[in-house]
Amino acid sequence: MNIFFRELRANLKSLIIWCVVLILLVLVGAAKFSAYYNNPAMLGILNAFPKAMLEAMELTTFNLTTVTGFYGIMLIYYALMGGIAAAMWASDSISKEERDKTVEFSLVLPVSRSRVVTGKLLAALVNCIIFVLVTWGVSLWAAQQFHPDQAFNKFLALEMAGMFLIELIFLAIGLLLGCAMKQYKQSGSIAIGIILTTYFLSVMSGMQANLDFLKYFSPFKYFDAGVMLHSGKLDPMYMLLSAAIIVVCVIAAYWIYNKRDLYI
Amino acid sequence: MSANIYLHELRTRVRSVIIWSLSVAALIFFFSSIYSGFADQAVLINQMMSKFPPALLEAFGMNRMNLATVLGFYSLIFKFVQICLAIQAGNYGFGLVSVEENELTADFLLSKPVSRTQVLTSKLLAALTSLTITNAVVWAVSFGALAIFHGSYPYETGSLFLMLGSIVIFQLFFLSVGLVISLLVKRVRSVTPYSLGLGFGMYVLDAFSGMFGTSVLEDITPFKHMDPTYMIQNGSYDTPLVLLNASVTLIALVISYWLYIRRDIHAVS
Repeated sequence: MNIFFRELRANLKSLIIWCVVLILLVLVGAAKFSAYYNNPAMLGILNAFPKAMLEAMELTTFNLTTVTGFYGIMLIYYALMGGIAAAMWASDSISKEERDKTVEFSLVLPVSRSRVVTGKLLAALVNCIIFVLVTWGVSLWAAQQFHPDQAFNKFLALEMAGMFLIELIFLAIGLLLGCAMKQYKQSGSIAIGIILTTYFLSVMSGMQANLDFLKYFSPFKYFDAGVMLHSGKLDPMYMLLSAAIIVVCVIAAYWIYNKRDLYI
Repeated sequence: MSANIYLHELRTRVRSVIIWSLSVAALIFFFSSIYSGFADQAVLINQMMSKFPPALLEAFGMNRMNLATVLGFYSLIFKFVQICLAIQAGNYGFGLVSVEENELTADFLLSKPVSRTQVLTSKLLAALTSLTITNAVVWAVSFGALAIFHGSYPYETGSLFLMLGSIVIFQLFFLSVGLVISLLVKRVRSVTPYSLGLGFGMYVLDAFSGMFGTSVLEDITPFKHMDPTYMIQNGSYDTPLVLLNASVTLIALVISYWLYIRRDIHAVS
């Protein structure tokens, strides 16, 4: 419990910074969107564009003149920010002990290594939950000026569920990296590599039909806003896949951290 | 400038430079390889696009984007390369002097008979050398990949030179801004969250501007200063923005020297 609260306090500043950046993003976005809101001329142009072109710009399936369409486009940015933040929180909270030479201290406390990891994992999880709630709140607040309907609220809730799952995936990957890497510097670098690669894969998979299979390797594509808009639910297959990734990473993280040699 | 510090810095970066260079090379290579399949489809799109009034295309930022041409497609790859280079340069910038304080080697370094100015200059030059190696790899792989994969579509090398030439300015921006931020805050504990935040933050700002018109706020992002589509279209740099970028770099460097010389560095207790 002490570890949990200690971690929460340590991560507070980082959480605040991420939230401020996110709020700025939403505000800038909403200011720009107001030019498009209920503008039928824009809708006419969008409908006339060929599909492949819109696909390349990730504009398919969204009616940009409605608030729902606008938040559909925002999801990839939300997910990107949430994913990066989650991976950093998880990997950093484990590896920083070795970097700051405090790992001996935390492990001579009368708690098992698993308890240490649990405390840190829960603290990072709470951060992720707060981050999603802030995103949700700010999005709802910014959408009020466009008088959203009931369907929008449902869609936004769905998007936030998707964003949260993406966060969880990166949280689990970050935790595993933090626990498994022998050198504390590596966990951050590899986390960067994974985030960049998965983001590029998600862009590539949309560009050409025969590269479609790449989407299984990129969590950013698991919960596609366009698909969610049509089906009205999260894809159960991807939910299973996400759950599998999360469970495997977390179990592996505990298992490795319990038996590894710590860098002192 | 002290040769010892310079060489030591270079040695510690060798692995990082190799990994970054290889990843960027792989990125360029794989993206280029899907070009020819994409181009056949994109030609049709462009034919339809030409029927729209230009003012409306401009509103969506689509007038600048032509994925059918070799360079138009390459500019898309180049954006991704820029993200990688931004994070790499940011990493080096944020870590340049803060790493000494984290690893408790700062007082050892500063007890040597070299001035702080010399320390910082040597470190900066070493980081610049490392970045230039990656830069050279990007040059080589870009020319190679385009030569292999351009298919039957022609492309002019002039704009390609322009794009690749902008890399060094781009890298210097993130290096110096990272450095000055690392000196402004009390302590940089971990480099990656900072550099990822800076790199991706700037990218998102730029991606956003393409989507919904432009605003003044977006002029702060280097992704906009070195916009590859602008270079292809105009055959030149966006001079005012590049000058803005260069002056930010210069100011950041000057402030960094000023701050580092006066910085209170804690000794190991």
